[in-house]
Amino acid sequence: MKRRRRMLEDLDQDIREHLARETEDNIGRGMGPEEARSMALRKFGNVTRVKEDTREVWAFVWTEQLWQDIVYAFRMLRKSPAFTSVVVLTLALGIGANTAIFSVVQGVLLAPLPYFQSDRLVVLFESNPRFPRVWISYPNFQDWQRSARSFEQMAVFMGWKGFDLTDPGEPEHLDGKEISAGFFTTLGVNLARGREFTAQEDGAAGPPAVIISDRLWRNRFGGSPEAVGKSVTLNGVDYTIVGVAPPDFRLLGDADVYTPLGQGDPMIINHRATHAMWCIARLKPGASILQARAEMSTIQKGLDEQYPDANRDLGTDVTPLKEQIVGEVSGTLLLLLGAVGLVLLIACANVANLLLARSAARSREFAIRSALGANRSRVLRQLLTESVLLALAGGGLGLAVAAWGLNPVLAAVPGAVPRSQEIGLNVPVLLFAFGVAVGVGILFGMAPALKNSRAGLQDALKEGGRTSASGRGRVQSSLVIAQMALTLVLLVGAGLLLRTIRSLGQVDPGFDPRHLITFRVGVSHSLTKTVSGTRVAYQQLIERIRKVPGVQAADFTDVVPLSSDSDIMPFWIGSEKPASLQAAPRLQGLLTGPDYLRTMGIPLLRGRFFTDQDTTHSPCVWVIDSDLARMYFPNSDPLGQTLSVGFASMGPCIIVGVVGHVRHWGLDEPSTYPLGQAYLPIAQDPDQWVQSNYSGFSVMVRTPLEPTAVMPAIKNAVYGAGSDQPVYHLETMQQVVSDSMSSQRLPMVLLGAFAGLALLLASLGIYGVISYSVAQRVREIGIRMVLGAEKRDVFRMVIGQGLRLAVAGLAIGAVGALILTRLLPSFSSLLYGVRANDPLTFVAVSIILTGVAILACYIPARRATRVDPMVPLRCE
Amino acid sequence: MSTKAQRERIELLQGTLDLLILRTLLLGPAHGHAIAKAIEFRSEEVLQVEQGSLYPALHRLIKRRWISVEEGVSENNRRAKFYRLTAAGRRQLAVETGKWDKLAGAIARILRPAERESQS
Repeated sequence: MKRRRRMLEDLDQDIREHLARETEDNIGRGMGPEEARSMALRKFGNVTRVKEDTREVWAFVWTEQLWQDIVYAFRMLRKSPAFTSVVVLTLALGIGANTAIFSVVQGVLLAPLPYFQSDRLVVLFESNPRFPRVWISYPNFQDWQRSARSFEQMAVFMGWKGFDLTDPGEPEHLDGKEISAGFFTTLGVNLARGREFTAQEDGAAGPPAVIISDRLWRNRFGGSPEAVGKSVTLNGVDYTIVGVAPPDFRLLGDADVYTPLGQGDPMIINHRATHAMWCIARLKPGASILQARAEMSTIQKGLDEQYPDANRDLGTDVTPLKEQIVGEVSGTLLLLLGAVGLVLLIACANVANLLLARSAARSREFAIRSALGANRSRVLRQLLTESVLLALAGGGLGLAVAAWGLNPVLAAVPGAVPRSQEIGLNVPVLLFAFGVAVGVGILFGMAPALKNSRAGLQDALKEGGRTSASGRGRVQSSLVIAQMALTLVLLVGAGLLLRTIRSLGQVDPGFDPRHLITFRVGVSHSLTKTVSGTRVAYQQLIERIRKVPGVQAADFTDVVPLSSDSDIMPFWIGSEKPASLQAAPRLQGLLTGPDYLRTMGIPLLRGRFFTDQDTTHSPCVWVIDSDLARMYFPNSDPLGQTLSVGFASMGPCIIVGVVGHVRHWGLDEPSTYPLGQAYLPIAQDPDQWVQSNYSGFSVMVRTPLEPTAVMPAIKNAVYGAGSDQPVYHLETMQQVVSDSMSSQRLPMVLLGAFAGLALLLASLGIYGVISYSVAQRVREIGIRMVLGAEKRDVFRMVIGQGLRLAVAGLAIGAVGALILTRLLPSFSSLLYGVRANDPLTFVAVSIILTGVAILACYIPARRATRVDPMVPLRCE
Repeated sequence: MSTKAQRERIELLQGTLDLLILRTLLLGPAHGHAIAKAIEFRSEEVLQVEQGSLYPALHRLIKRRWISVEEGVSENNRRAKFYRLTAAGRRQLAVETGKWDKLAGAIARILRPAERESQS
């Protein structure tokens, strides 16, 4: 480097010396001083170029020139603000949309889960012949924990247990989890304060202990370090705080309180046949997931033999935790990333076309620069610098677009994406935006740059430079055709999803979601200390709600349709219990009150629904749905037959009625295993289950009034029965139905937005190219008119030119869309009620695209008709 | 088209120029102007070198360490930079000369029959 500086320092002097010598020599030959000097200069050649070339010999020159290029590019771009702003805006939209989607992909799919060495965390499931993954039973977990060697540690938890906090402060309903000792250490999460549960606390006789969330700690204890050791009253019991979770800690849903699972409902914990828990485990270093699977299946085989009643035919499943959390959305997100990539390509094509048109105007500038001594690669670099600079400006603005556009989109479709809290414009996202901008700048800058630097010097210096116009036109036309094709693909995707949402909207969910609201009530724990007290308290509560003016009907259910509630159990008809319950068919059980059917608007098809006369003192009864009747009583009358359910068998009870099927798993019911439904009256719920079952009830209310109008009165009625009874999880059923479509609505909204953007960009693209071509052909159009062409013919000719491009793009795009929709299962699996090659969609979007293309060509076509035939002729 | 042709000619000249400089310096160290004059004189003024193009070539040879540079005083007592052939440069000159002979021979073999044809 030193050598380089030394060598270049006196280059100027060397050249001066050289010229002086040559001049002297010339004077010696008898020339005058003036002439001698100019001859010397002529013989020497272009001094600037010599200096440049010499500098270039020494490698560092590149960075110097880059800086010059950047300064020059800035000046050039400032000189044409219209061009610059159109390009920057186009790129900002393209890069911004890509950055937004990438930030979702990054936060959800790419970033590791926020736990220590999270790639070694797995979820352990049980599996049975009907379902590949089911929750596990606590006794089985305890056996696993004793014998499995592939894992450093494992823990279980039950999510979504409700806790009503009554002290300190205002009564509030809190979501909680029951966790086993070692839950946090398995995840590798350190508590912010205090400690985890001890083995003693995690047992049936343990003292009530609780770990609270950071949020609760701040709200109820002002973030005081002395909170640990204090007590909180939850569900009427005083718990001692032993720990505080770190801020933002969550696993499969938020929770404010964590209680020891070992102290939970003995009906759940002591039953090997009750599958109700999640099990998480940390693989030992070096243990593979395959080894873990093999070991677990051996262990489970032993347990199945040991406990055939509960376990026969039970298997296990080991799934990476990340796959469990994000697996479902990964296909959709990658699909959207691909789609938004197409938008960027379309934007790039536009910018490339603008640059081509501009470079035509600048060809003289470049010719002059080469004549002054710039070599080819220097001009190329200059052009690339400009386009990368444009792309970086677009990328910077694109970040703003992404930051501004991301949150409203995610907020518009709640629950569609897990880990949404972890999405943000972080370092990897910024790097992505930067990388895309540079890449895109080089991509769209390359074509016009290559074309230009090759342009003939003499040709360009001559006025016009018409020779290269036809070649450039061909490139521009292909770019427009590509844009049209890509836009059609996006339009087809959006169109198919729109049709899907529409057909889902027309699906009859099996109940009437209009004028129907649902909420939960935390019934006062002073009223639910005994089984009979609990029954009375709930009965009184629902009667108070029914008396509220405006309430047409109201009743309880333990499973709200289309929500995540579910209670799946094996069943059998008649009195003979099958040998293997794990292999027995399943149904979905629901506990409801007698007014549930009327409240929901579910049709009664045969027999009767429950009445107040169905109690623990009368024979137990079932009402089944039409699916169950069709599948298991194809040739007989279900009424009067008996049905039993569950591992801790309940029944046999008599089937007294058949009602319509309710779509519980989604309007498109994607379940691979069709589940019939069976209703049991809450009044006949066996005593031992009452307290845990009743606390999970939701209230359904049918009312023609708006929820906001009727809820204050309902709340008053609830508080009248006990002021410490929070009302929570309030939703209209229309909201619940709409939320159930979120897995299709998110891609529909985004694909729709992308397709709209693509349409806008493509129409600008075709407009630009046709306008440019009209401007180029002014002379030709003039001659045609002189030779007798009507304005109508000229108009038709220009529109025809645009139409040809559009139709070529349509054809290519249609083929592409047909192939893509078939190749992408992550897309076709979203569709409902419409086939991937739906002709209506294809025709409709083709018409839209053609219409927009014609519209875009209309202005340049009109301009062409106004060409004065004499002007271009006079020019020559 | 014209730029392409020009560029090829310059490139050909550049390679050749390197060879000519090395050959000139074989006779002893010289400064820039003297090298230019020597090439002109020894080629009997057939080769009209653009004198400026000497400098990038000199720097290129310095960078490759085929020649070295030293301060000195010229015949009429002026400070000047003298360029001197290094051992590596001497070896390179042998290689380049061999290459040149081969190239010239090959081109001559191609051109000669063509000349005969045009004469007949």
